[in-house]
Amino acid sequence: MPGIDVAVRQILIIILGLIAIYAALDLFWLRKQTHKSLYRSRALNVLIVLSILTMIVISARLFTLPIIIQILLLNTIDLSILILATTAVVLIFKTSVTTNFAQGMMATFGAFFAASVVMKLIDNGSTNMTLILFAGLFAGIVISFLLGLFIDVMIIRKGKNVNSVGKQMITMGLVMVIMGIIPVIFGSNPIVLPAFSVDVKIFNIGDYPMVIPVQNLYAIAITVIVLAALFIALRFTKWGLGVRATASSETIASMMGVNTHVITAMSWAIAGGLGAIAAFFYASMGTQVQVASMVPVQVNAFMAAVLGSFGSFGGSIIGAILINVFSSIAPYYNGTWQLVIVYGIILLIVLAKPLGLFGKKIAKKV
Amino acid sequence: MAKMMNNLLIKVYQQILIRIEDKAKFKKDYSEVVLARKRLRAENRINSFEDNLSAKCLVLALKYSVNNDATKELIASKVQKIENKFYWRKRALKTSFERKSAKAEDKSAVEKTFFDKARELDNELSKEIETINQKYSGIKSNLEQYNTEVKELEIKTLEKIAQIERKSASSLEDFKKKTDNKIELLNKFGKYFKDKLFALVDQTKINNYGLDEDVILRLDNLTMRFGGLLAVDHLSFDVKEGEIFGLIGPNGAGKTTVFNCITKFYKPFDGKMYFRKNKIDTVFLNDYKVHQIIKQGIVRTFQNVELIWELTVIDNLLVAAHTLFKTGFFGQLIHTRKLRQEELVLRKKAENVLTKIGLLAYKDSYPLGLPYGILKKIELARTLMVEPKMIILDEPAAGLNDAETLELAKLIKMIRDEEKVTIFLVEHDMGLVMDICDTVCAISFGKRLAIGTPKEIQENKLVRDAYLGEE
Amino acid sequence: MLKLKNVLANFKKQFLSISKHPYFGFIVLGLIFLFALFLRNMGLLTISVINTFTLVMIYSVVAMGFSLLLGFGGLASLGTAGLVGLGSFIMGYFHGIGGMSFGMTIVISIIIALAVGLLVGFISLRIEGMYLAIITLGLGEMLRQFFISYDTFTGGFTGTSLRSFKIFGKLFESGNDNYFNTVYIIVIICFILAMVATINIIKSPTGRALLSMKNSESAAQSMGISIIKYRLLAFILSSVFAVLGGVLYILHTKFSYPPQWNLSYSLDILAAVIVGGAQSIYGIIIGVFLIFGLKVSVLNYIPFFSNNPALIVIFNGVLIVLVVMFYPGGLIRLLQTSWFKLKIKLAKIKMKWRTYRYGKDDE
Repeated sequence: MPGIDVAVRQILIIILGLIAIYAALDLFWLRKQTHKSLYRSRALNVLIVLSILTMIVISARLFTLPIIIQILLLNTIDLSILILATTAVVLIFKTSVTTNFAQGMMATFGAFFAASVVMKLIDNGSTNMTLILFAGLFAGIVISFLLGLFIDVMIIRKGKNVNSVGKQMITMGLVMVIMGIIPVIFGSNPIVLPAFSVDVKIFNIGDYPMVIPVQNLYAIAITVIVLAALFIALRFTKWGLGVRATASSETIASMMGVNTHVITAMSWAIAGGLGAIAAFFYASMGTQVQVASMVPVQVNAFMAAVLGSFGSFGGSIIGAILINVFSSIAPYYNGTWQLVIVYGIILLIVLAKPLGLFGKKIAKKV
Repeated sequence: MAKMMNNLLIKVYQQILIRIEDKAKFKKDYSEVVLARKRLRAENRINSFEDNLSAKCLVLALKYSVNNDATKELIASKVQKIENKFYWRKRALKTSFERKSAKAEDKSAVEKTFFDKARELDNELSKEIETINQKYSGIKSNLEQYNTEVKELEIKTLEKIAQIERKSASSLEDFKKKTDNKIELLNKFGKYFKDKLFALVDQTKINNYGLDEDVILRLDNLTMRFGGLLAVDHLSFDVKEGEIFGLIGPNGAGKTTVFNCITKFYKPFDGKMYFRKNKIDTVFLNDYKVHQIIKQGIVRTFQNVELIWELTVIDNLLVAAHTLFKTGFFGQLIHTRKLRQEELVLRKKAENVLTKIGLLAYKDSYPLGLPYGILKKIELARTLMVEPKMIILDEPAAGLNDAETLELAKLIKMIRDEEKVTIFLVEHDMGLVMDICDTVCAISFGKRLAIGTPKEIQENKLVRDAYLGEE
Repeated sequence: MLKLKNVLANFKKQFLSISKHPYFGFIVLGLIFLFALFLRNMGLLTISVINTFTLVMIYSVVAMGFSLLLGFGGLASLGTAGLVGLGSFIMGYFHGIGGMSFGMTIVISIIIALAVGLLVGFISLRIEGMYLAIITLGLGEMLRQFFISYDTFTGGFTGTSLRSFKIFGKLFESGNDNYFNTVYIIVIICFILAMVATINIIKSPTGRALLSMKNSESAAQSMGISIIKYRLLAFILSSVFAVLGGVLYILHTKFSYPPQWNLSYSLDILAAVIVGGAQSIYGIIIGVFLIFGLKVSVLNYIPFFSNNPALIVIFNGVLIVLVVMFYPGGLIRLLQTSWFKLKIKLAKIKMKWRTYRYGKDDE
């Protein structure tokens, strides 16, 4: 399609132009300012926002806006999954200062358990599908919650002076352990969970008819409810305060009387639960879920956390949304290179803002 | 135009001169290390020959039984050995007997076998002692033979020793001559360039940024800003060569920030810093990066001890000597001869520095777990590795007790006097500052309050207000 | 008689002084591996054992580069797999398909490794810590996607296979013993060279500079160590080692296909380095053997494990978790301490035997 080449060229030209403008600004104006670094970061923010807007606007002109919206609507289930996974990763990073490689595995374990519960219920003759699925989901959440609790209390905390790389290694080992255990417990067949509903809902935006699967609506609703509950808990409960205190410094928090053990254990458990929801919806998307299926989601969640900053929940969610938008539109530009395109964009943004879009720099004292 | 040309030439000559001097110094150090090693080796060989001679003489004396005492001693020692052996055998027998008799019902039978065995052992022992006595006492004395053989031996050994001495002396001389020749040649070159350089310097008025002869560091309106906070506010002062200069001020006055600006950990917001590298060269510090500062002759220590915990103390000192290694990466990859020579020389130098500071005992231990005072001293030792012009000490006495502080004061003075360096320190311990500093500068909120001798500072009203609060 | 004794004593002394040299152990290790080949040709060892040894050696080369980065430079990277894959495809494309000479291919692979290392190094100047690990993970995934999509270079999903290679003008066709033996010897030589290079770097100013960069950046900078230079150097070294490992890999297995170079391979290398001990060469070899070699060479012969392949994965996982939890210095530290403890125990046993035989001392 010649239109795509033109669009890519336009995007490149506009972004290069923006960079050139920024460089000129930096050379002739920014360097002489008193609040140099502040202005610089603001200018970078503007640059990044303008670049992203350019991409979206040009894509909208190429594929027309309704099509873009349609694409994004169809991908909302991916978005929900990614947001849940990202929130789980960030939650664990905040309290344990490590990237949890076992996140995907914990989630898959929950999904497999949910699937087995669903199968059992169907075999027992239950007919109300929605109820069965909710029961399965609940069972999956509970088992992943317990698994997360177990991992933190029995494994991560028992180690002798383990640093953050060490914790990372432990989670890697856990990946292998869970990967081996799943076929032993649940059998070696991949699972497919039935969807809550296979219907689609059709509605109009302006004159354009839009299609959204009802399953996506379920996913969005559950994600929103869970995240809202989580944020309310973080904001207004003692546990939330504890998480924030632990995130800033574990030693000081524990000296101030915060029971950091409970805080981290709860964070691991909740992360497990969030992962289970994500994996549940991933399994109901119609693709077969195998043991290692959640790995790409997990990698994307890490990238989203880096993009939005590990330090803030809101930032990482915005990172997840950006990644979702990029990766749903990228295939329409180029099917084979989509991953390279998306990760390349993320890399460029992170190079401009090393601590993520919403990260705050903490000055180091010499 | 000519002036520019001259300036360029001065720079080139200086570079060449530094290279030559470095090389000459390295050659000298290396030759010293090697000579010491060679001498030690020769001495060891000679000693071993001498020991050998005396041992052989003793054997001969026994053979011809010239020396009665020696024979007796030998016999006694042999007998002792055998008796010892039999003592243990007896003891084993006895313990086994005790074990058996405790278990056995018929004690007399066990006892009987035990006594039999013990008697057997005694017999054996006396027999062996007899054979020894027979072996050594039956020799007839033959003094003549002994004397001739000993003489032969002595002559032989002396010849060998002389040979070794000759050889080592000649090789030492060769080596010395060679290195001396090289060093002389290098010195000649050096002198040639030095003369040219000084001639040039005399011709041109070199740009030393208006620094006086005795000033080594000048801060001119140094300003540092963190966001909205003005940490250092148009601060200017001079540090004179060879003095101990103290910077004092209440908490948060920006003292450490000044250090960080000088060593380029922070990029100064405004202001100029000049440093006199040597007689003819003054550098504009703002132009350099953090890791280039040490090459200009400024080394620093840190407020919180910053050592490399995974390396031994001597390796920590070698890290400080990083800029002194001239071997490139590929040379290091295949461990060239030159790298080994450099390593040898610098290790020796590190040992010397440690001896001077009094830390040689900790040479091969890891810094983790050593007392805080020792760690601070290691940091101090680290600065001495590169023979700096100026040492910057960031709160050297923080965390030390009174005795340690006194010792530190002595050490700092000693370093100043022996190494001829300028010392610039920040300190909270007023006792230490007033004791050792020649000049003290007091700052508050980044602004200079007063500068002068310790006494003047003590009597200054502004300083007192800043510390105690205005009344 | 006396002279012979002297000569023997002298020989022993010299042997002891030689055996203290770090290269001695490496050469002995190489000879042991060579002896294994000899045994195999005699028919005493199966081919799968030799294959395991080869893989352990190749992955050790990669892991040594990685330990220079992680254990000495303190920089985490999760893009190793991409680089190893890159090496294998360079060999497969330029030598296997393009017909370029062996030496030239090595030179090209080193140049490409240099370029990639420089790129990642420059990225590492801006991004640090956990962020860097994730970004390198992303880079690894990008490289994998690149391998899958750019099929003229890599053969796409089916991958590249190497049928023969030419070295010093001699052609070696795959499928016979001659090829197998040659590759094995090449791998041994590269393995020894890599160990020598690593120990030389560790025991030189560069190694100390890397360690000081890891321990305290400010101290390193004030001692004249340029952070930029040594970060770039660490990344370049590790990527050169990884790419060479990839070249050896395709020589040995004769094929390479893109999906194989995924995240789990990078994590395995990381695990090998951590489990074995990130700062010791022998530790790294032990770690690599545990992670990659144990399954093929030992566990497959134990019926309990060979009947349940899932248990092998669990075993590896539990091993990693336990080692990281209780032996932060890696298995090599455990071996060292247990050797020390064994010595003490032996001394105690000797003492006990003495009191049994001679009775208690009266004094």
